[in-house]
Amino acid sequence: MNLNYVVVRLAQIVPTFFLIMVVIFVLVRLLPGDPTSAVLGIHATDEAVERINAELGLNRSIPVQFGLFFEHFLRGDLGDSIILKVPVMQLVLERLPVTLFLTAFAAMMAVILAVPMALVSAIRRDSLLDNSIRAGFQVGLSMPVFYIGIILLTFLAAKLRWFPVGGFGDSFGDNLYHLFLPALTLALSLSAVLMRNLRSSIIDVLDAEYVDFARAKGLRHRVVLGRHVLRNALISTVALFGLNIGTLFGGAVITESVFAIPGVGRLLIDSIYGRDYPVIQGLTLVLAILVCLVFLVTDLVQAWLDPRVSHS
Amino acid sequence: MTRWLRALLACALLVGMAGTAEAVTRGGTLTYARYADSLFLDPVLNDANVDIWILTNLYDTLLQPTADGKDVQPGLATEYKMSDDAMSLTLKLRSGIKFSDGSPITVNDVKWSLDRARNPKNGIWSFTLASVDSIDTQGEDTVVLKLKNPDPTLVAALATFNSAILPQKQFEATPGATDEEKAKAFAEHPIGSGAFVFDRWQRGTELVIKRNPHYWQMGEDGKPLPYLDEVRFPVIPDDATRILKLQAGEVDGAELIPYARVAELKSDPNLNMELFPSTKVQFITVNVRPTLKNGEKNVLADPKVRQALNYAIDKDALAQIVTFGIGTPLVSFMSSATPMVDNHGPIYAYDVEKAKALLKEAGVAEGTEVTSIGLAGSADETNILTTIQQSWSAVGVKLNIEQLDNATRTARYRAGDFQMRVSLWTDDIADPSEITSYFAYFPNIESLHSGWQDKSVDELFLKSQQEMDKEKRADMYKTIQQKYVDSAPIMFLYESPYPVALRKQVKGFNQIPLGNNIFSGAYVEK
Repeated sequence: MNLNYVVVRLAQIVPTFFLIMVVIFVLVRLLPGDPTSAVLGIHATDEAVERINAELGLNRSIPVQFGLFFEHFLRGDLGDSIILKVPVMQLVLERLPVTLFLTAFAAMMAVILAVPMALVSAIRRDSLLDNSIRAGFQVGLSMPVFYIGIILLTFLAAKLRWFPVGGFGDSFGDNLYHLFLPALTLALSLSAVLMRNLRSSIIDVLDAEYVDFARAKGLRHRVVLGRHVLRNALISTVALFGLNIGTLFGGAVITESVFAIPGVGRLLIDSIYGRDYPVIQGLTLVLAILVCLVFLVTDLVQAWLDPRVSHS
Repeated sequence: MTRWLRALLACALLVGMAGTAEAVTRGGTLTYARYADSLFLDPVLNDANVDIWILTNLYDTLLQPTADGKDVQPGLATEYKMSDDAMSLTLKLRSGIKFSDGSPITVNDVKWSLDRARNPKNGIWSFTLASVDSIDTQGEDTVVLKLKNPDPTLVAALATFNSAILPQKQFEATPGATDEEKAKAFAEHPIGSGAFVFDRWQRGTELVIKRNPHYWQMGEDGKPLPYLDEVRFPVIPDDATRILKLQAGEVDGAELIPYARVAELKSDPNLNMELFPSTKVQFITVNVRPTLKNGEKNVLADPKVRQALNYAIDKDALAQIVTFGIGTPLVSFMSSATPMVDNHGPIYAYDVEKAKALLKEAGVAEGTEVTSIGLAGSADETNILTTIQQSWSAVGVKLNIEQLDNATRTARYRAGDFQMRVSLWTDDIADPSEITSYFAYFPNIESLHSGWQDKSVDELFLKSQQEMDKEKRADMYKTIQQKYVDSAPIMFLYESPYPVALRKQVKGFNQIPLGNNIFSGAYVEK
């Protein structure tokens, strides 16, 4: 792979990241309402509001506030939560691993569900099996995440007691057990998107001349599928997968709240409602870094699958 | 003298009950699922109900609210006595009491804690102790509060969470330059005087409190409270999940059950669906200024229009639709559980004809439009406003609904930039003065930012704040409430209890009308 390509893609992340930082910083301050209402409640007196605003530095101009924030950021300090009164970094470190675990688990599950099903569907195109698989995934795609979550919880957890009703475990195995249902909930809609895309790519590739050629060479069916069909069909699906990781973080917000999982999703929502600026900024930055990294990895995988990408 | 007697009687009652009570179960864990986590476990600097409602388990106060929330009983102090001129209050500290780390609770801790709580720089609750001029200690067990003026609310204030007793030395030894910094650090691992002691806390996930082995209060079995070894508070924001956890037996109790689910859980043989009486009132704040912030003339400035619109709301239907029949129409602006409420049954009984006549008298044209803010995403507030929308259309008034998120609506509310907004209130102190100072006494926050002012009410309120004769004070409150209800600067909707579901095995838990969750007498039967 072209090393220059990797360096250029890495360098592109820096301005993207700075832009996100500025936009989020300004955007949260342009929203009506301020954190003082969350700190003082709705019945606070005007003097109390002014005092808190001064304490939090919110009475200064936005550029000055940004300058201070950026200076602290360079030192690795994301500030303190206005509402929870603990350092934002501490919150991120506590909550982020949970969300990462959940999204990684869900992404893995989505791939495990989507790839074999797409292969079977594409090979047995338009058969009853293909139609049933597609119909099944269609249901997964069209149901809202919170609804799937509640259904899974009601039947598999509350009624059958196969899984715990939400929460997070104490060990790796325990986490897998606790997060199985939420990860499945998240994975269902993503796997449907991936499966449909991969199925049609495989069908396209199956019709390509080089596949006929590979078969004509006498390669075994499995080798043709693995080396020639799947590898080429995966290129667009990998891009789609990468793009959807961002969406997966979004879905995690809802899933975390249905399954009572202490990840960053719920924290972000609460912070937005409470206008807890430092937490919103810190979490968005960390999530932005993660999404940028996922995009980078996606691009690299694509370049590896299809060398033309890094030369274009 | 009567108060000394009452304190003695309460003690006698406790001792008497020990002989006759059913056997209680000691030990074990109670898991109580909450909808949101606590934010800041400092009794003085906190603000939110998620803190207030569990703080008293960690920090005891000199006096405690009674189970019905209307009066006080002895706490860390065994006795209290107001001087004849009502200018000083003397309290006797219980002997042998200790903080959760085993160090003794001294009169100096009491003086320091109350001085911190009444410092106007410390948070928003200092007003409850505003009448205190200075605090003296005498000997090892006596604390004297010298007052600036007589204060009938002081005794209730000493039973309120912000008057909790903290260990001075341990607090001051906590790192931090200012009181707030120390409080932040201290609240991470607080040492308290309550029935339970802080054990561990994973923010947003779970708070765990353990039995305080040094707690003073005796249980029904004659041994010290609490019965439980541990209370766990997992945070489960989703209502459906919280209930599923309870039904699956993964938790022992769940708070804030949606009204829509109460009937279903009542019929569950494994659960006790409790509806604890509360001081929670649901109403609509009305801007009564002649002109609105956007320059438009405000039709709601006329009391007749406000009265008419109050008559035009079918409160029974509203309570039925929003609370599934669990709420009841308001009897005053304060709840029927608030002391000195002027309760003659529901006010502004539904009367369309009267409403129409009043509107006609006020010269309000058919099709007049009014607007109310509702909280976006809140099913209750949306239900309230759409129901009222229908009621008012019957009298020719069109209600526009403006849905906003909490921070935005608070900013608009504070700026007086609204015509109406749906609101909720719960008392924090077992006295009518708190709610009245916010609702009816203009100088505080312009009567809920409504701009409503009745100078005679302001004067009467100030007078009532120094009136030590209970009956005379109640009379004053009667007048205040009558004037307020008559002028109607709010739309009076309904009051509703706290819905808590518990497994059948859970006994002795109480949520008092002020909202405090009391776990000291709770136990789980085996």
